[in-house]
Amino acid sequence: MDVRFKRDGNSLVVMIEGEIDHHTASRIRERIDSKFLMEPVKNMVLDLSRVTFMDSAGIGLILGRMNRVKLIGGSMVIRKPRPEIQRILRMSGIKELIELDA
Amino acid sequence: MQPINRMRTEFLSKSANESFARVVAASFAAQADPSIEVLADIRTAVSEAVTNAIIHGYGDEEGTVVLTCVLYPDLIEITVEDFGKGIEDVEQARTPLFTTRPDLERTGMGFTVMETFMDSLEVESKVGQGTRIRMTKHLKSR
Ligand SMILES: Nc1ncnc2c1ncn2[C@@H]1O[C@H](COP(=O)(O)OP(=O)(O)O)[C@@H](O)[C@H]1O
Ligand SMILES: [Mg+2]
Repeated sequence: MDVRFKRDGNSLVVMIEGEIDHHTASRIRERIDSKFLMEPVKNMVLDLSRVTFMDSAGIGLILGRMNRVKLIGGSMVIRKPRPEIQRILRMSGIKELIELDA
Repeated sequence: MQPINRMRTEFLSKSANESFARVVAASFAAQADPSIEVLADIRTAVSEAVTNAIIHGYGDEEGTVVLTCVLYPDLIEITVEDFGKGIEDVEQARTPLFTTRPDLERTGMGFTVMETFMDSLEVESKVGQGTRIRMTKHLKSR
């Protein structure tokens, strides 16, 4: 598991690599939250193109970050989820809450 | 139906074993040559069941989780068992979005994921004794 960041104007682009489960989610969460506080940004882009596995812990992770972004009036985008994780994104209803950039 | 193969593995309730368990279950199922979608579904369901055993069954205590897979000609039966605190109201626990741990950013979607990704799900639980999840999945397209 690895998390990398890039700043794109008013957005923090978060690239998550590897598997998201309950075990990895807590470290991913800490890294994203501290970076988001440090950077002068409002919005967040979650690049999931390198996520190879995700269970409901990933849904919790995404919704938790969305709430933080919303709190400061920003918006969130999910970018390029692989087919393997599209199924759980679909069933979670997250697609109705967050913009998806396929 | 006569089982073709069977495996049983037990491990400590450490979160690092969530990935261990789903990899083991999926590689056992792989001998039946199912589609990659079926394998992905099995990985996700096992991950949910094992995570529940670890965080809800045992919490801060350490215990043993038992994963059993039985392979039939066109079906796999997967059991995940813990000997932790058990579930008071199973029907309520299975309700979509119900969680007792919103503090951990749990979404209450675990049982719904298991139900959706597998073909059947049974939950047996006794307070103070533990929980046993039994799931089945057809391995060949019907
Ligand atoms: N093995 C278990 N032992 C004790 N309680 C459990 C177990 N599995 C599930 N539960 C209870 O059922 C609830 C719902 O589980 P689930 O649908 O996986 O959602 P989540 O894990 O997000 O809370 C949990 O919050 C917990 O209270
Ligand atoms: Mg769960």
